[in-house]
Amino acid sequence: MRKVIERALHQAGLELTEVLQASNGEEALQILRDNQSNPLALILSDINMPIMDGLQFLEIRRQENLAQGVPVVMITTEGNETFVMRAIAAGAQGYICKPFTAEQVKVRVLPLLRAA
Amino acid sequence: MANAQDEAVSRLDSAVSEVFEMMLERSCDPMEGEVDTVVGRIVARIQFTGAVDGECLLYASPATASITAEALLGTPSAPHDPMADDAIGELCNMIAGGWKSKLKSPEADCLISAPKVTRDGLEGYRPQFGTKFSRNYSFQGNIFGVVLAF
Repeated sequence: MRKVIERALHQAGLELTEVLQASNGEEALQILRDNQSNPLALILSDINMPIMDGLQFLEIRRQENLAQGVPVVMITTEGNETFVMRAIAAGAQGYICKPFTAEQVKVRVLPLLRAA
Repeated sequence: MANAQDEAVSRLDSAVSEVFEMMLERSCDPMEGEVDTVVGRIVARIQFTGAVDGECLLYASPATASITAEALLGTPSAPHDPMADDAIGELCNMIAGGWKSKLKSPEADCLISAPKVTRDGLEGYRPQFGTKFSRNYSFQGNIFGVVLAF
């Protein structure tokens, strides 16, 4: 899915200079800890991940005050309102339900990048 | 019961169709026949827990998996490329998620697991659910099977 999202961002006209990838929330937190002096432009995360899910990732990110100014967009199959509300309460600014089109990624992600 | 089964299969057809139209930009149609679960196929498994207890299994040949990966990524993929396995896992994830999203409350309040993908068959696997729906699908002549069990 990470490659699919990269493709969608490319189709949306975004030039990605560097992409840091994690296969679960724990790896993602480590990337944030290791890159505190290397500002990130955007965090994209699924909810359903092994080891640590996307909602736990958001909670710990907030507790550890990691990359707090970086917009977070959840891209997930979990489309029900409970998950959307929990993700937004935990710090996500955007939410994209799978399956998605490249246009949906463009519409939800680009304004966040412009505002950041 | 027949109605419940028809509804479950109809939701599955609709979820598969949406995934293929939106993510792979092609159509995918249901087919008659038993799902082929022989060893050698790639199997992805997602579990439902909570208001619905069950699982979604997706069976595909390595060839179908590589074509699915190509369609998702827009770049060539070989049948033994790990990307083919990832594509089948993600396809199962999106289909299971799409199926779940079409449930009404309170059934919709269930969790789905991350996908597990294997090429070694589901050795030692014992189906623990009594009700099973299975369906084959075809896109451009490439066939895969989906089993929902509760």
